[in-house]
Amino acid sequence: MNVLLGIASLLVFPGGLFLLVSGLMYEWADHKLIALLQNRVGPRWFQPFADTLKLLMKEEIIPDGVNSIMFVGLPLMALAGALTAGLYIPLAGLPPTFGFPGDLIVVLYLLSLLTLGIGLAGANTLDRFSLIGATRTLTQVFSYEAPFLLALLGPAMVAGSWQVGKISAYAGSHWLILTQPLGFLVAVIGLMGKLELAPFDAPEAHTEIVAGAMTEYSGRGLALFNLGRAVELVIGLTLVSAFYLGGLSNPLWFLTKTLALLLVLVGIQSLLTRLRIDQTVGLWWRYGVLLVLIQWLIVILFRGF
Amino acid sequence: MPESNAPIRFTIPIGPQHPALKEPGHFQFTVDGEVVTSAYVRLGYAHRGIEKAAEQRSWIQNLYLIERICGICSHIHALAYCLAVENLAHVEAPPRAQAIRTVVAELERIHSHFLWIGVSAHEAGFETLFMYSWRDRETVMDLLEGLTGNRVNYSANLLGGVKFDIDQAQADSIRKGLDFLEERTRHYLDVISHDSTFLQRTRGIGVMTSAQAEVMGAVGPTARASNVKRDLRVEAPYAAYKAFPVQMVLDTRGDLEARFEVRLKELFESFRLIRQILDALPEGELAVRLPRRIPAGETVVRLEAPRGEVYYFVKSAGADKPERLKVRTPTICNLTSVIRLAVGHQLADVPMILAGIDPCFSCNDRMVQVRDTKNDSQKLMTWEQLRQHGIDFYRSNGK
Repeated sequence: MNVLLGIASLLVFPGGLFLLVSGLMYEWADHKLIALLQNRVGPRWFQPFADTLKLLMKEEIIPDGVNSIMFVGLPLMALAGALTAGLYIPLAGLPPTFGFPGDLIVVLYLLSLLTLGIGLAGANTLDRFSLIGATRTLTQVFSYEAPFLLALLGPAMVAGSWQVGKISAYAGSHWLILTQPLGFLVAVIGLMGKLELAPFDAPEAHTEIVAGAMTEYSGRGLALFNLGRAVELVIGLTLVSAFYLGGLSNPLWFLTKTLALLLVLVGIQSLLTRLRIDQTVGLWWRYGVLLVLIQWLIVILFRGF
Repeated sequence: MPESNAPIRFTIPIGPQHPALKEPGHFQFTVDGEVVTSAYVRLGYAHRGIEKAAEQRSWIQNLYLIERICGICSHIHALAYCLAVENLAHVEAPPRAQAIRTVVAELERIHSHFLWIGVSAHEAGFETLFMYSWRDRETVMDLLEGLTGNRVNYSANLLGGVKFDIDQAQADSIRKGLDFLEERTRHYLDVISHDSTFLQRTRGIGVMTSAQAEVMGAVGPTARASNVKRDLRVEAPYAAYKAFPVQMVLDTRGDLEARFEVRLKELFESFRLIRQILDALPEGELAVRLPRRIPAGETVVRLEAPRGEVYYFVKSAGADKPERLKVRTPTICNLTSVIRLAVGHQLADVPMILAGIDPCFSCNDRMVQVRDTKNDSQKLMTWEQLRQHGIDFYRSNGK
C-alpha cells in the first residue's frame, strides 16, 4: 500500500501530473494577464496544452554537428530536475511529500538544472544564435543564482532550519515580507531572472538572437524544455510565497498567494524594457547582492540581541 | 599555431529571415563576445523591378504601381510621381487639391511614426509600448479610411489633383481623432523620455554627430536628431507647405533617445498643420486636366517622406509612357549610418540602432546583385544576354 502511495505521489500528486498541469495553467495565467495589461485578447485556457501536445507530436530534428545523446537527454534532465524539486516543496498548501534537513539547497540546485540544461543545449549545437544564447544563459545563471539563494536563506536563518517544510511552517505564523522586504524583492526578481521572464529575457531576446539557446530545438525537446519552465514557474511561486507571504496552510491560500505573486511578476514583465545582458549582470551584482547582504545583516543583528 | 593567435571571427547573421526584421535584408555582424566589431549589409532581396515596370505602363497606370513601392508611405510616392508629371506637363494642381494632398501626407506621417514607435519598442523588448502605440495607430488608420476609403494604399492622387474632397463632417472627425492622438503622443513622449529602463536602452546609444550625419548623407528624422537642418518641407516647400509652413524639429544629442524625441515632436507639428489646413481649406477645383501624352523633358522631385527625403527623377520622351523613372528612398541613405554606428556597440543594441532609422527595405531595393558562389567571377550581362542565359538554363535543366 505504501509503495502504491509512493508511486502515486511521484506520478500524480504532487509529483508528475499535478505539477505539469498546474505549470501549464500558471503559464496560461501569466500569458493571459500580460495580454490583458497590454490591451490584447490573449490565449484561451487550453493554449499551453495545445502547444505542448502539438510540439510533442512533431518530428524532432537533430541538427548536424551535435552530440545527439546530449541533445535528446538535456531536456529530459531539465524537466526531471524541475519535477523532482516539486517533491520537497509545500505544493497546493499541503506539507512537502519528502523532506530532510538541508533540502532547500537540493531544491535550488534541482531548479538550476533547467537553466544549466538550456545553457548546455545551446552550447551543444553549432548554431550561432544558440551559442550566443547559451553564453547569455550561463552568464545570467551566475548573476542571479547567488542573490536568489541568499534571498531564500534569509527566511531559513530566522526559522533556524534549512528544511523547506520547517521554514514554511515557521513562515505560516510570520509574514516575513514585512520583516524582510529587501529579501522578498530580491527573491521575486531572482525568480524572474531564473525563469528568463521579461525584462530579464536577454538570453532569448528574439529580436537579436532568435530563440537563444533553444533555436535548434523543435518538437519533443522544445516541449520538454517548455514544460520544465512551466513547472519551475509553479515551484518558484510556491517557494517564494511559502517563505515570504505567510506560508501556505491550505489549497485556497496557495491559490490566492501564488496568483497574487504572479500578478506582481506580470506587472513587472509588462512595465519594463528588456535589459541588456551586461545591465542584467550589473543589476544583480551591484544592487541585488548588496540588498540581500543588508537584509542578512539586519536579520543577524536582530537575532544576535 | 599562428592561426590561433588571430582573433576568432564570430559572425552573427541577421536576415534575410530573422525575427528582428519584418522585411528582407541581410546584415552580418562580427562580434567579439557581445561587442560588434564589424558590420556588413546586403540588400536586394525584395527587388521588384518597379522602375522597369513603370516604363511599360502609361502615365496613369503608373499611379497605381508607384503607390505600391512602399506599404507605409504609399501616398508620398504617388505624390512625388504626380508632382513630377505635373512639372513635365507644366500644370499645377489647384490649391484645394494641394491642401488635401498635404493633409493626407501628414496623416500618413502620423501613421508611420506611430508604427515606428511600436516597432522600435518591440526591438527594445518593451512589448507594452508596442501594443499600445499600435492600438492608437488604428485611430489614424480609421481617419485615412474615412477620408480615402483605404487604410494603406490611399490612392488619393490623380495626375493634376486629388480624387476626393474633405467635407465638414470628415474634417470634424479628423479633428476629434487628432485630439485623441495628441493626448496619446504626449503620453508616449513622457514615457520615452522618463522611463528609466527604456532610457537605459536609448540614451547615449548609437550617437551620430552632426558632422558624421553630413558625411554619411543621413536624411529625415535620423539627420534632424543629429542637428542637421534637413527637412524638405522647410527647405524646398512643395504642395501646400508654401502656404502652411512647418517648423523643423531638431535635436543636438544624436542618440537613439533624440531620434525618438524628434519623431514624437514632429507629430505635434503634424497635428497643428492638419488642423490649420482644415480650418483654412482653400476653395476651388479638385483637379485639372492633363494631356495623355506628357511633353518631353526631365524633372527631379524631392519630397519629405516620414523617413526622410524621397527622390524622383522622371524623364519623358513625349509618349504616353515614361522614358525613365528613378526612385531613391530614404532608407538607402540612412543605412550607411547603421553599419557605421553598430561597430563598438553591444549586439543587443544593434536591432535598436537599425530600427532607429526606421528602415523600409522593400522600397529601397532598386537592384539585385547575384553572386556566383562557384566561381568568383564578375560579369555584366545585357538584357539580351540575360534573356538568352535564362532560356539556356531552363533548357539544359530539362524544364
